[in-house]
Amino acid sequence: MTERFRPGDRVLTSRADPVHHTRLPRYARGAAGTVVELEGRYPLPDDRSRGLPAELQPVYAVRFPAAELFGAGDHQVTLALWESYLRPLSEEVARDE
Amino acid sequence: MSRINDVGGMEGFPLAGQELNEPPFHADWEAHVFAMNAALIRRGCYNLDEFRDAIERMPPQEYLAASYYERWFHAITALLVDKGVLTAQEVSGD
Repeated sequence: MTERFRPGDRVLTSRADPVHHTRLPRYARGAAGTVVELEGRYPLPDDRSRGLPAELQPVYAVRFPAAELFGAGDHQVTLALWESYLRPLSEEVARDE
Repeated sequence: MSRINDVGGMEGFPLAGQELNEPPFHADWEAHVFAMNAALIRRGCYNLDEFRDAIERMPPQEYLAASYYERWFHAITALLVDKGVLTAQEVSGD
């Protein structure tokens, strides 16, 4: 299985508010970050927690400016996020930032 | 919908203090809960993500009032009833 993202890629996290277990915390929804590295492949907890077949999926370390998540702070926050929580941040959106 | 566990970045909670010389467990029952959970996961009774989900499904008022291992105990018993290993009557002792 190939990875959709590479280190340095700009990504946007999902805005979805699922009724089930997820490892994307609420404070990091809809946030723009940068892929740091591939951490490995693990079953998607959203599926596995519901007894669904969970295929291995790339998990990335993704770095966010604290201000992007909390509106303040000059430090960085790095989260381990499954590939399906992420989509590419389009160049248009990136230019608007 | 977000559940009561997902409070990262929320204002108003006390800082998580660090206990000096904190023991691994504060009572024997906590060690039993820890060991029982590991044994049940290893035997395939449920997986780690189901366990986390069961903690997150606690009613918010119970979740906030419970200690760390009380949450574990709640999740284990809920999963054992869900999976048909125990009945609710057996858990409550009635």
